[in-house]
Amino acid sequence: MRLLIVEDSPELLQQLRAGLTEGGFAVDSAMDGEEALHLGETEPYDAVVLDLGLPRVDGLTVLRRWRAAERAMPVLILTARDSWSEKVEGLNAGADDYLAKPFAMAELVARLNALIRRSNGVAKTELVFGEIRLDTAARAVSRAGQAVRLTALEYGMLAYLALHAGRPISKTELTEHLYAQDFDRDSNTLEVIVARLRRKLGDSLIETVRGQGYRLVPG
Amino acid sequence: MKSLTRRLTLFTTLWVALGLGLMCWFVVRTDERQIDAAADARLASLLDAVVAGAAFDPAAGPLLTRPLADPEFDRPLSGHYWQLTGPGGSQATSRSLWDSRLPPPLLAPPGVRARDVNGPRDEPMRMLERDVQIEGRLGRVPITVQVAVPRQETDAEIASLRQSVILAFALLGTGLVGVVALIVLWGLRPLRRTQEELVEVREGRRLHMDVIAPTEIAPLVGEIEALIEQNRATVERARTHVGNLAHALKTPIAVLRNALESGDVAGARAQAATLERLVQHHLRRARAGALAGTAGAESTPLAIAEALATALRRLTAARGIIIRVVGEAGARIRADSQDVTEMLGNLMENACKYGVGQVLVRVRAEGAGRITVEVEDDGPGLPAGEDASALLRGVRLDEAKPGSGLGLAIVSDLASLYGGHLTLQQGQRLGGLVARLDLPGRLAADL
Repeated sequence: MRLLIVEDSPELLQQLRAGLTEGGFAVDSAMDGEEALHLGETEPYDAVVLDLGLPRVDGLTVLRRWRAAERAMPVLILTARDSWSEKVEGLNAGADDYLAKPFAMAELVARLNALIRRSNGVAKTELVFGEIRLDTAARAVSRAGQAVRLTALEYGMLAYLALHAGRPISKTELTEHLYAQDFDRDSNTLEVIVARLRRKLGDSLIETVRGQGYRLVPG
Repeated sequence: MKSLTRRLTLFTTLWVALGLGLMCWFVVRTDERQIDAAADARLASLLDAVVAGAAFDPAAGPLLTRPLADPEFDRPLSGHYWQLTGPGGSQATSRSLWDSRLPPPLLAPPGVRARDVNGPRDEPMRMLERDVQIEGRLGRVPITVQVAVPRQETDAEIASLRQSVILAFALLGTGLVGVVALIVLWGLRPLRRTQEELVEVREGRRLHMDVIAPTEIAPLVGEIEALIEQNRATVERARTHVGNLAHALKTPIAVLRNALESGDVAGARAQAATLERLVQHHLRRARAGALAGTAGAESTPLAIAEALATALRRLTAARGIIIRVVGEAGARIRADSQDVTEMLGNLMENACKYGVGQVLVRVRAEGAGRITVEVEDDGPGLPAGEDASALLRGVRLDEAKPGSGLGLAIVSDLASLYGGHLTLQQGQRLGGLVARLDLPGRLAADL
């Protein structure tokens, strides 16, 4: 899952990057409103973490302009301003969740996962495909009751396919959602990841749709 | 037009000019008429003298048997003339007319006719004429008698009178306007003195305003003094608050430092949590304290609750809680909108947290000048006898639910700041908890 973090404090941005990368997200970042506006309008993010007090363009304006441009990705506002008037203003400007600083990284990760699930129309935290169970809250995968260890990229691909189960996902789309912007993208590595997932979870789970990409067969 | 002095003086000037102008015109008119009437009366007695001396000789026509005393009637073109006109145009004139004639007589109306005419030298003249019957030897003969004198004297008299009247009125008007300007300046002096004292208070040269204000501006001065006092109290409160906060933070910081030096991560984490709670608490207190005594603010609880419901629906989208807001759209709470938002936000968030599927917000006008807002959920409700302790100490009723636990305490604090209160009850409709907020307000009729 690919995230955009908009935060102007370098220290907090560093911590957020580390914590969210560890949480399994591919992370892009912006340190001012203008950069955030541009990235949010051009890149396909699965979710955005947005600070409100930003240089150049403030967070609420950024959010309103994204929504006006029909950018629908879920946005979580992360700010020190926690009065209800400010929460109402942020949420009614189009934010999907609101977390006040200081916060616990685990809660941020959990809320982002919930937002991404919800934005894909999935209410449950656990997704089942035959003998494969995927717990999106715990980021755990099991096959026939046995826990399976996956790397971050393997989990990311599986989760993305699972959230869009039934629809073929192109390699371009997968690349866009699995890697951060500055990552050296090589579509061959996608094939390697798919091969490893098939080895760990069985051949039948992920189909190759000729000319269209990969598809996870709905359970 | 911001200056009171200028405004008052201008209006006075306009009014005085209009009033005195009309009065002056009236006085001048009356005097002119009197002077004209007096002149006409003098002329009428000359006319009578001519009529008395007039006779008719059938051979020579009309003639004057008794000459007039005034030698001006004999001096050629002197401006004083008489003329008699008999039947068939036969005429007799004063010597002064020489070979010119007065304008021919009008034949109607009967009686004395007065006219302004031009004389032989084209000078303006006042002329009286009258038709009389003269008893002659051949019976009664109709004769028209005319007498004329120059207008010059009368006109000069009128002009000099007009001049002096206008001068007198102009002096009076100027005097009035000047006096009014002085009165205004003098009357506004207390304001200027108040302003000077205010400057001294602002610059710290003076603690209180000592001006003895006239009744009209005494309330204003009183209000300013109250404002100064309130300001001072607010600053004092803020100072105390900052002091309290600093002291409250010192202990956890000391413990945190020790914990970090001894590598006690769990201890450090606990202290960080304490610090966070403290900051949260003081921040909210500060927000509330800053607004104490703010007057004139009114907020619309129904609109605020609806905005909050929209926001909370997004926050609780995953749980699909149904939030309904009903009640009086005209309800107005006498409190700052941000504070009402804060109170309702905390109550509604709590309701969403503890509720299972439904939250109901009701806004009602209660009796005279009270507005109540009830936030009801369908959660487990309240264990008997626990409401007061939960509110006062700001602890969580249910430690398992997330949240700082300060929410209700803050709502209660805010409500009492605005002269209201918060009560918790067992709900009847949904079966959960009812948080009932009672605040001063009114029901606006204009919708």
